[in-house]
Amino acid sequence: MDEIILEKNNAADDLNGRFLTFYIDDTVYGIDLLHVIEIIQVPPITHIPHVPNYIKGIINLRGKIAPIISVRLKFNQQEIPYDEKTCIIVVVINDMHVGLIVDSISEVANIDSDELAAPPQFGSDLSNQYLGSIANVDGRVILNIDCNKFFESDLGIISSY
Amino acid sequence: MSTIDPSMANMLEVFISESIPLFEALDEILLESEKAKNISERHINEIFRIMHTIKGSAGMMGLEEMSTVAHAVEDVFFIIRQDSSKLDLVINAIFDLIFKSTDFLKAELDIIQGIDAERQEHQPIIDELHELVNAMNNGTTAQASAPKASGAADAAAPSDAASNSGSDNGGTDGKFHRLRIFFEEGCQMENIRAFALISQVKDLCDELESVPANPESDSNTSAEIVKNGLLLKFVTDDVQSVVSVVETAVNVQSYELLDEHNDVHTEETEKEEAPSNAAVKVEAAPAAVETAADETKKPAQTDMPKIAKQNLISVNQVKLDQLMDLVGEIVTAESMVSSNPDLKGLVLDNFYKSTRELRKLTDELQDVVMSIRMVPLSGTFQKMNRIVRDMGKKLGKSVELVTVGGDTEVDKTINDSLSDPLMHMVRNSVDHAIESPEERIAKGKPEMGTVTLSAQNIGGEIVITIADDGSGMNTEKLMAKAKKNGLLTKPEADYTEKEILNFIMMAGFSTNTVVTEYSGRGVGMDVVRKNIEKVGGTISIDSKWGVGTTFTIKIPLTLAIVDGMELAVGDTIFTMPITSIKQSFKISDPKQIIYNTDGTEMIMLRGECFPVIRLHQIFDIEAKHTDLMEGIVLQIEYGDKMGCIFADELIGEQQVVVKPFPQFLNKYNIKNCGLSGCTILGDGSISLILDANTLLNYFER
Repeated sequence: MDEIILEKNNAADDLNGRFLTFYIDDTVYGIDLLHVIEIIQVPPITHIPHVPNYIKGIINLRGKIAPIISVRLKFNQQEIPYDEKTCIIVVVINDMHVGLIVDSISEVANIDSDELAAPPQFGSDLSNQYLGSIANVDGRVILNIDCNKFFESDLGIISSY
Repeated sequence: MSTIDPSMANMLEVFISESIPLFEALDEILLESEKAKNISERHINEIFRIMHTIKGSAGMMGLEEMSTVAHAVEDVFFIIRQDSSKLDLVINAIFDLIFKSTDFLKAELDIIQGIDAERQEHQPIIDELHELVNAMNNGTTAQASAPKASGAADAAAPSDAASNSGSDNGGTDGKFHRLRIFFEEGCQMENIRAFALISQVKDLCDELESVPANPESDSNTSAEIVKNGLLLKFVTDDVQSVVSVVETAVNVQSYELLDEHNDVHTEETEKEEAPSNAAVKVEAAPAAVETAADETKKPAQTDMPKIAKQNLISVNQVKLDQLMDLVGEIVTAESMVSSNPDLKGLVLDNFYKSTRELRKLTDELQDVVMSIRMVPLSGTFQKMNRIVRDMGKKLGKSVELVTVGGDTEVDKTINDSLSDPLMHMVRNSVDHAIESPEERIAKGKPEMGTVTLSAQNIGGEIVITIADDGSGMNTEKLMAKAKKNGLLTKPEADYTEKEILNFIMMAGFSTNTVVTEYSGRGVGMDVVRKNIEKVGGTISIDSKWGVGTTFTIKIPLTLAIVDGMELAVGDTIFTMPITSIKQSFKISDPKQIIYNTDGTEMIMLRGECFPVIRLHQIFDIEAKHTDLMEGIVLQIEYGDKMGCIFADELIGEQQVVVKPFPQFLNKYNIKNCGLSGCTILGDGSISLILDANTLLNYFER
């Protein structure tokens, strides 16, 4: 897959209500486009010792060092071998670049606020605790990840620095 | 409230950057003078000029409060400058007051910069300064009746002092005006210019006297005019026209109209209005901006004749950081080109000649950029002087700060991040360690406590020590406290003295039960340690109960670029700083490998045993070789610790640019498991940089 760099939209308004959707298995997840910087292929990843298994390591992102997180492992799912569809979504959180490994990219979806519903408050599934909302677009269910919740366990300490 | 005119915003930066060194210089002078219990003539002039500059530029920026305070200080020194014998009258009070005033000015400056500083009222300070002025002036009248006292007057300006008392008497009738004129620096023939000016204003005045009296007849008066200015005393109905003549005269840099209010017989009631009109000073109007700018430069040149004239340029640090980053990228790009995989196997004599040249130049470039960023530690040390002085006074302890090696240079970023930890440790030393004078005498120590701050450059590292001769640390007390706070991780008896001392650098540990203004909140030393570790440094403690404590901080000279040896372990490439490597070798004789009782491997080298760290084991990597005989062994050292690391193979030497791990990974404390950072290699891949210090600590665990 070629490197896709999302067109730069400086006006935040244009990004509001737009979600980048991706697949893990057959489930569609969405991530707020405001957080997304770019989508890249999986480069060689340098392994880092003594970190949780879902942190795959670090990559060289044009001179910047960015940590890479496997969304599958973060969701406590089995890792699958990377193929030509596997890619990394580079997001920015608290001014830090972080890459997320996903199975494949779907599309950029426009979701109206009336199509959004709050996520279920229960459920033992680990993936639920990272969700910000659930959308139902044309009969397809999109689980929207809340970036702050998703990175909470990694950011907790940093904010107290 | 000082607010900034938006149109001045761009001048503000200049104002701030020019004022800060002035304050630093001022602090230095004051501390030195206080020690000597006297202010030398040179220093008086310097203080006067500094205050004058600050007053002028603050006024220009519309910072009224700063300007008035600086003005009041200037008034004080104006009197002292004219008659240094008056200094003796106020010698006890003056230092505290001037320190207070400079603190106020500095706080104002901080507020302008957006730093949270405590806003103080400026009026009380001004009142105090004016009281000081009055005290000095009244003292003079008292002395004037005893004629002998004037003999002590500053020999440099005897006529000045005399005329001063003369005008004091004349001042009460309100007719005598005094005008002090300074000519442009280096305009030459001051005496003639003075004479020209005198003849110009002569017609406008009923009476005119000048100091020096006859400048045209004696060229030696030039020096006096340069130093003290030309003083005109005249009686006239039209002061304004005299002033305008002076204003338009050639080569006049500045002049001061000294109103009669400034004179001796100030009534008590006049005191309130005195601050605003005590001495009206106007910058030469046509060139107000240039003059102010000139003035800031001139004192620096004339007051410090020791320092050779230097062409200085101040640069925004952000730009320097950019430059540094860029040089880092060039170093990487250079190795990308010269060790490009496409070149493998080709015979390219000329190409390699050129790349060697390129390498030489990038090395040089790097050295130069590094040296640009180097600043001496003396500025930071200077600040500590002030802290020790203030705290000693407040706590009733007599403490002396001895600084050694202030000219040691470190990277600006390191210098900045050192300032807070050092301040904290010096405070700790004065507050907790140094005993009260009585206690010290009872213990048989000299009454004056000493805190020694020293810096040295030892082989690529800066070593800073903070030593005091105070009470030292009580390990039993520390142990008890650690136990109480639940900080123990192993049986009590297993702790070495060093480990017990290290407790004080753990979060939430404070032995001082009383929280004072200066220290004792238990957030101290662990923050100090964190700050120092942030710049790649280490800190250790040495303390003897009853004798004193020494903190030793070791910090790498620069952070950015290191010479590294690349090692491969499986697919991972590590970089070991060459400074930590003693030698590398292959084990030829299986007898060299010996096993400790607990199974750890050791290597025998020239009769000495060194433990082996298998990189693939501690970093959990699948390695090509697991047999010690097959891979390569590197002997590494850090300080007095030595050991060996085992890797698959050596790849080669390369200069690498150190990049910190992403902030995102801070939580996982990677730095404590043998890695200090990462770097991008020529082919764009990432290599992890090994840290000999933490690697060697593996054996202590």
